[in-house]
Amino acid sequence: MKFIITLSWKNLTRYTRRTIITALSISIGIMMFILVDSLLTGAEKDSERNLIAYETASAQIVTRKYWDDRENLSLKDSIQKPDEVISFLEKRGIPATPRISFPGEIIVYKNPYPEDGNLQVKIDAIDPERDPKVFKLKDRITEGRWLKPEEHGLLMGKWMAEDIGAKVGYPITIFTKTRDGAYQTLDLTITGLINSENPIVNRYGLYIPIDIADEMLYMNGSASAIFLLFKSTKNFDSRLLTLSKEISSKFPDLTVVSWKELAEDYVALAETKRGGSSIILLFLFVIAAVGISNTMLMAIYERTREIGMMRAMGMKERSIGLLFIFESAIIGAVGSLVGIILSIPFVYLLVNHGINYGWLTRDFDIGYRITSIFYGAWNPTTFFKAFFMGTIIAVIVALFPVRRAFKKSIVDCLCFR
Amino acid sequence: MIELKNVKKRYHTGQTVVDALRGITLKIDKGEFLSIAGPSGSGKTTVLNIIGTLDTHDEGDVFLDGEDVSRMDKKTRARYRRKNIGFIFQTFNLIPVLSAYENVAFALHLLKFPEEEILDRTMSILAEVGLEGFENRRPDQLSGGQQQRVAIARALVKNPLLVIADEPTANLDSETGEVIMQLMKSLNDKYNITFIFSTHDNMVMENAERIVRIHDGKIESDTGRIR
Repeated sequence: MKFIITLSWKNLTRYTRRTIITALSISIGIMMFILVDSLLTGAEKDSERNLIAYETASAQIVTRKYWDDRENLSLKDSIQKPDEVISFLEKRGIPATPRISFPGEIIVYKNPYPEDGNLQVKIDAIDPERDPKVFKLKDRITEGRWLKPEEHGLLMGKWMAEDIGAKVGYPITIFTKTRDGAYQTLDLTITGLINSENPIVNRYGLYIPIDIADEMLYMNGSASAIFLLFKSTKNFDSRLLTLSKEISSKFPDLTVVSWKELAEDYVALAETKRGGSSIILLFLFVIAAVGISNTMLMAIYERTREIGMMRAMGMKERSIGLLFIFESAIIGAVGSLVGIILSIPFVYLLVNHGINYGWLTRDFDIGYRITSIFYGAWNPTTFFKAFFMGTIIAVIVALFPVRRAFKKSIVDCLCFR
Repeated sequence: MIELKNVKKRYHTGQTVVDALRGITLKIDKGEFLSIAGPSGSGKTTVLNIIGTLDTHDEGDVFLDGEDVSRMDKKTRARYRRKNIGFIFQTFNLIPVLSAYENVAFALHLLKFPEEEILDRTMSILAEVGLEGFENRRPDQLSGGQQQRVAIARALVKNPLLVIADEPTANLDSETGEVIMQLMKSLNDKYNITFIFSTHDNMVMENAERIVRIHDGKIESDTGRIR
């Protein structure tokens, strides 16, 4: 075995340039794999963080009816006594805040706005005091100020404000329906603009004080949902399950919904993108595999007589096969290792500086909850995976030409020119 | 030691059938230095390939050291060659990335000899073929004659029952060819190993103790000393 490995290693020096080019093609494939994986992992981590921080919290508590008909944001199916639930959660050290979510139409008029217009929107009525315990919206007010209780104010996502020409202090009218289905108009003033890391908030976010919504929509103290935050992500699923059981036993008509269910559009999108990215990665590996397969085919073709000589001398076909497989494995392993080493500085740049996709995310919803800079993430598992994949693919693609070489008789191999 | 009884071999190339051997009967004793001679396409290489178990025959019987070759499967034939047969090729067929020493040692590695014995045997046979001091040279650093000496050393280092050489001097100039033939003869005398070589060169044939002439797949003549 030692002799076969030594001979394999020496054989790689026969055509140094070809060996280097093949190993480099694998290196580039591996490097791309690591970089794409780093970027995807980073984007997913950041998206999840921004989803929880600005959109979904860790979980929501809603009535079962509301959840079944969640698309309609029905005010009739709201939680009647949200304070009881919040107090139950706070006793367990879980920060929670109520929200009323309702559909409406914002109406703006020329002067001070650039032109007359209306827009179908979703409005979230938030508790100005409790909300910052769960969400980070308050920290992302870039113009104006945070809402005060009982004021007819409104916070707007910065991108929406830019799109409709809104500024702090501008009046805005919301046309909606009360809990009973009567038409209602809310006249509000923009108190602040939010520029967060979550593009959904920047593009669609509209927030008013919950007591104003309660009064104007005749909610009688009820809330659409209670948002809660697990400060640590450790054992998230099991903690959520425990909480879910406790809530179900104490409040039978309520249910706990995790952020993953709330952001099912994002989760589905992330999975689809991962699938699409896997195809790109597969493509990269096919290129590397073709490179190494070609090299091994050439090597075996050029050494047909040598293979014939070895077989004539009684060398086992398995050993001859191993000789070529080791050569391929060495190319694969060296190529993968070089690819990993080359990728490290690029991953470092991705992790620390990221890539600014602000030009894209500002105008297009690409699904990820990231507004501008996509940061990479260190993923040591990928490094190991890449190394083993690179080496194993190299071995697999070498098997075919090796098998082909043994189909020739020894005499044909020896006569090969 | 080697016995061929009415051996026939046909080759199929497309729709053409070529009778390469049309009933060869031949007996070769241990230690013979035998030349199989004949023009190109006469069937001499086919005879060597069948004796060397590199190829199979269609009809007849072939016995090597009492063993019926037709009963051997592929693996058994490979094992038999590994242990008992040394090959010398017209184009030397050395492994270019290995040194002279490593090329010779290769035959012993296949037989899983211990490292010390590989070293002793290899150095000794290289000295015997006149390559002392050339052990670390790769084939591209050796002349044609020196490369063939390495091939001879590789064939003999395992102390085989039989050495088969297919036109061993065809790629060498006449002077070097003569030296190589004399080297083979001296090793044949010293170790009493059977040498069978093919040639169509009269000068090479003169070195043989026995000459079997083949023409159109049949033995035309069998002359010389039979031990």
